[in-house]
Amino acid sequence: MIPARFGYVRPASLADAVAALASSGEEANVIAGGQSLIPLLRLRLADPGLLVDIGKLAELRGVLDEGATLRIGALTTHYELVNEPQIREHCGLIAEAAATVADPAVRHRGTIGGSLAHADAAGDLPAVAVALGATLLARGPSGDREIPAADFFVDYLTTTLSSDEIVTGVRVPKLGPGWGYRYEKFQRTAQAWAIVGVAAAVRRDNGQVAEARVGLTNMGLVPVRASAVEAAARRTPATADSLRRAASHAGEAAQPPTDLHGSAEYRRHLARVLTGRALAAAAGL
Amino acid sequence: MAVLSACDKVVAKAKVIASKMLEVPPEEVEFGGGVFQAKGSESPGKTIQEIALAAFAAHDLPDGAEPSLDSDATFDPQNFSFPHGTHLCATEVDSETGQVKIRSYVAVDDVGRVVNPAIVEGQVHGGIAQGLGQALYEEAVYDEDGNLLTTTMADYLLPSAADLPVFVTGRTETPSTTNPLGVKGVGEAGTIASTPAVVNAIVDALRPAGVRDVTMPCSPERVWRAIREGTAR
Repeated sequence: MIPARFGYVRPASLADAVAALASSGEEANVIAGGQSLIPLLRLRLADPGLLVDIGKLAELRGVLDEGATLRIGALTTHYELVNEPQIREHCGLIAEAAATVADPAVRHRGTIGGSLAHADAAGDLPAVAVALGATLLARGPSGDREIPAADFFVDYLTTTLSSDEIVTGVRVPKLGPGWGYRYEKFQRTAQAWAIVGVAAAVRRDNGQVAEARVGLTNMGLVPVRASAVEAAARRTPATADSLRRAASHAGEAAQPPTDLHGSAEYRRHLARVLTGRALAAAAGL
Repeated sequence: MAVLSACDKVVAKAKVIASKMLEVPPEEVEFGGGVFQAKGSESPGKTIQEIALAAFAAHDLPDGAEPSLDSDATFDPQNFSFPHGTHLCATEVDSETGQVKIRSYVAVDDVGRVVNPAIVEGQVHGGIAQGLGQALYEEAVYDEDGNLLTTTMADYLLPSAADLPVFVTGRTETPSTTNPLGVKGVGEAGTIASTPAVVNAIVDALRPAGVRDVTMPCSPERVWRAIREGTAR
């Protein structure tokens, strides 16, 4: 379908972009890669009066090593997430999950900032951000704001961003020595959304799980942090059996959807199986 | 067969025109390798292109010759032809998730004499993909009020190249005896064979789990439920 009529501006700076949003009120949408928003426009599920195109803003590009964290610019594409050496080295879970997103054409245009701000719980990166305890960086008329990923996603396609704020980047804790990770994506066809996805990171110490982080994709209206699994995995032997036992708590508190590709009951089952596999792989088993 | 018959009619028309150009009676004109030639003659003869130009120009045609080389024909077969073949599918089923993976697919078909191998190969490949789509993915789902729910390609699933194995194909070539070319059909060789091959492979893999049937399309959830019910039986 053809989108409804909308206005379009391409500001020259981040400050101008924020000003454009602030002056247009609720009706504006930010667009970067357009890989989620344009399909919504075409289906007329979104009908903004104005699109503010931030796709050319150089200040939103690049990856900065901050010591214990990486600051990843909002316009970093999925392709760059997969291939950027600093991300591969310190935030490999992001690279692994980004490699499973759609197809190469989408990965070359879609951005991490867009993927997180779009807040589709079936998207792969939101669960990764929640699992890793990432922090969203946003700029609005009154300045910069930092929002923990755990607080960022509030409902289906809805975040805590106000209508005049723009995601400028994401700060991700590095996974240091001893950490392993895995993104388990379960899908029916190669380029489909995940029916369920599991992002897991495990730190091993002396044959034990010292720490585990688990995020679930498409298990509710927002990405789910599997806290019960993390607690159950902590200080257990790093064996497939004990990790599978810990994984049995996956999706306990979740309200997964029922749709054409799977019932809620099946998704709960998948979450347990895939979490067990993701934890085992992350623990190097 | 209709193409062959139409071509024969074109050659017959062309021979009449060639006979005047070659200055021999039509029954003494031979056609081969795109060239019309008087029987026993050593001269270069006339190519089909030259005859076509003469027919199109139409300024010195023999009496009664049509100024064109077109024709049409309809083929009425005296009997069916019987293409046949064997398709083998090996699947791996993840017994925890119900996910089906096709490990290998081998198809040997006999479609009679092969006129264009690339077309035959393409028909078999496309047909296998279509039949496999029916076995694993394709389903038109309606809600209780009769509204179609599978309205986009994200909901109505089709296999892409990334979802398919590399097909191994082979042929035997037994000419049909019911038509002059010895040809048979190839259009549905892949679609007819692949659907049962895939589903039977899944059921065979799950036989130890007590599964005797899985309803198509064999989605992961359906396969998972079949395993649960089979094991519980």
